[in-house]
Amino acid sequence: MKKTFVTVLMMMAIGQTMAQEVSFEAKVSKRTLGLNERLRVDFIMNENGDNFNPPSFKGFRVVGGPNQSISNSYVNGKRSFSKTYTYFLIPTQKGALTISQATIDILGEVYKTSPMKITVTEAVEVPRDPNSPEYLIDDNLHLVAEISNSRPYLNEAITVVYKLYFRNPLRISDGRAVENPQFADFWSHNISIPRLQVEDGTYKGEPYNVVVWKKSVLYPQKTGKLTLEPLTLSLVIDLPSNRRDFFGNRILQQSTRSITAGRSTINVKPLPEEGKPVNFFGAVGQFDFDALINKKALKATESFEIKLKVTGNGNLKLFNLPELVLPNTLEVFEPEHSEDVKTTLSGMQGSIEDNYTIVPRFQGKYPIAPVSFSYFDPKKEKYFTLRSSEQIIDVYGGPIANNSNENSPIVSKQFITNADESFRFIKLNSNLEPIVKKEFWNSKLFYILLITPLFLLLAFVLIVQRNRGISNDVEGSRLRLANRLSKKYLGEAKKNLKNKALFYDALERALYNYLKARLKIKTDDFNKDKIAEFLGQRKLEPQEIQFFIALLENCELARYSPTTDVKMQQDFDQALSVISNIDKKL
Amino acid sequence: MRKLLIFISVFCFITAWGQGKDSTFENANAAYNAGQFENAVILYKKILDNGQHSAELYFNLANSFYRLNQVGESIFYFEKAKQLNPNDQDILVNGAFAQNMAIDAVEVLPKSQITQWKEKTIGLLSQEGWAYFAVFLIWLLVLFWGIYLWNKVPFVKRTFFLLTIVSALLLMGSLSMAFIKSSNAEETTYGILFNQKIEVWAEPNSRAEVLFLLHEGTKVQMLDQLQEWQKIRIANGSEGWIKNGKVRSLKGFK
Repeated sequence: MKKTFVTVLMMMAIGQTMAQEVSFEAKVSKRTLGLNERLRVDFIMNENGDNFNPPSFKGFRVVGGPNQSISNSYVNGKRSFSKTYTYFLIPTQKGALTISQATIDILGEVYKTSPMKITVTEAVEVPRDPNSPEYLIDDNLHLVAEISNSRPYLNEAITVVYKLYFRNPLRISDGRAVENPQFADFWSHNISIPRLQVEDGTYKGEPYNVVVWKKSVLYPQKTGKLTLEPLTLSLVIDLPSNRRDFFGNRILQQSTRSITAGRSTINVKPLPEEGKPVNFFGAVGQFDFDALINKKALKATESFEIKLKVTGNGNLKLFNLPELVLPNTLEVFEPEHSEDVKTTLSGMQGSIEDNYTIVPRFQGKYPIAPVSFSYFDPKKEKYFTLRSSEQIIDVYGGPIANNSNENSPIVSKQFITNADESFRFIKLNSNLEPIVKKEFWNSKLFYILLITPLFLLLAFVLIVQRNRGISNDVEGSRLRLANRLSKKYLGEAKKNLKNKALFYDALERALYNYLKARLKIKTDDFNKDKIAEFLGQRKLEPQEIQFFIALLENCELARYSPTTDVKMQQDFDQALSVISNIDKKL
Repeated sequence: MRKLLIFISVFCFITAWGQGKDSTFENANAAYNAGQFENAVILYKKILDNGQHSAELYFNLANSFYRLNQVGESIFYFEKAKQLNPNDQDILVNGAFAQNMAIDAVEVLPKSQITQWKEKTIGLLSQEGWAYFAVFLIWLLVLFWGIYLWNKVPFVKRTFFLLTIVSALLLMGSLSMAFIKSSNAEETTYGILFNQKIEVWAEPNSRAEVLFLLHEGTKVQMLDQLQEWQKIRIANGSEGWIKNGKVRSLKGFK
């Protein structure tokens, strides 16, 4: 056995001496490797050379090297020399790669290696060394971002808690945040952690130590996909190495590690449009609403307060309270806003309130209209509207406001009432009348009454004018007078114009009657002398008296003498003219 | 005997019916005094439905609504009462209380001396009053003129001529008053707003801007109408359009 070994050695030596030529070649650790594996390339030469020129290693990244090693050995006086350049490479791409030629200058001549083909395959699972520090750290250190809800509603609180899990044998000696997430598009609140504390916890069912690194409450302010930026921590980790100290304890080895967590996308849902109340101001959560009034009855010019208060759990700082609508005659000051809100992991809690100070100037009853406050409950996924009860403020003992803009034409009638004017009692007399009343204006009666007097006036004017015309026309008037008289006294005579005896009888009677009526003479003492005397007393001309007497005598005579119709007519006319003449004088 | 009975019962019925409305009024008053304002409102409205009204009835109704804190109704009936009896102190005082309850304070536009004077004159008598006055004047005028024409004494004649002219002028005045009043009443319609809150727009479409807000109980003058839009004017002279507004007209007694 020994013999054969010697022979082989001998033969090799011979061979070597035989091929005492310069060689320069490249060797690779493997021809095929995974993307995640490393490749070792050695460039070996048996004579010392200069100007080593490595290839470009296209498709690879140099992670180690060049390391140079030289070995010189003398065996049986024979010198063997070798010089090696070693590179460690990691492939950067898959496929067939070529390591191209390297050159070197040996004893004045340039040698080249032959190019080598390397096949890079998919990454291969590498069984890892459980004792390697990398492995230890990876296995025992975890940074986790816990997001309470990745599909919240707009303005619904979500929490992000960053927890650092680690366990033996790791110990963390220092740590700081390299990159703190900026929560754009969120209203964020960091819950400050005064001291980092290590607690016991479990991670994937195994006991771990836990440090809560950071707690944030976020209220999304936009709908859609929002990105959470990650938190990156730089940690200094102590971990035991393989080496042991004098006492057999493992020597701790420090290593720095960056660890990142929490890059995630949050899909923010918009609030449902269905059933959205009109007066919804964006309150999301669970709330209670109340309007508190500190006085129900007060004197005018005193003040009272109305407090609109929302208590509960939700985005308290992110919405406005509803506005109070008050009657105009109340003097209202700007509301005082106050907040008592604590932000915990479950969101904002507490109360916000608007405090209105109000001074009524005038007495009366003032209804405080109910204020409604609407919010969206993301848990029940429904809108709720809370309404404060309507209240009446009774103000007494002040002047009454005068803003009665009346319909009646007596507008701007200043209406001054004394200070303690009170609400008047109802009226007790009904004085009812039918609603549908006939209007006098524009009615027929109205026009008739309006027009009739005009006609009356017209008629009156006509009559007056006619009268005036009669008095002006003398001849006509005499005729008319005579007609009237003849009608009155001579009517009978006129009827008997055909019968002579009756005619003259009637004519004589008529003359006597006329005198009797005009002169108020009694029939007994009636003779011609007396008539003449009477008529003389009435200042009649003697000629006229004569005429009258003559007519009377004529009547007596004519009764017994033959007369013609013409004579009768003549006598009648004469009587008429005599009567009318006398009548005028009397 | 039977006839007599029927007659008596009919007579009783008629008298009861005749007094029915007044007793309703009294019942309503009693309900009001007892604090049952809802009942009072129902009873008062019954009287209105029977076709009867009065300033007193409207006043009591308005008071009941005031007690029930219904601003719009209360103001509406106070205005009604004022229409029938513009100068009643009780109505004015309680109306001011109701106005206090309303949310809007509309400052009345100041009026010039002439308008004030004119309105005062027109307001001296109601429209009917002016009409009766005109009729009275025309009779007087005719009488005076007749006396003027009839009489022959120069002094009397002169006096009555003057009186005639004066009464003619008065007649023309009162006729024109009545005319102005009736045309005013026809052209201007006032209403009370019953919407809790309503926006007043610059134009009758939703693209226009909102000018101001009005609340229940505001008195508005109703102007033009375009589909569901109503043009209104409030006492301070501002105008605008409201959409589907609940405005109850004060015109007519219903």
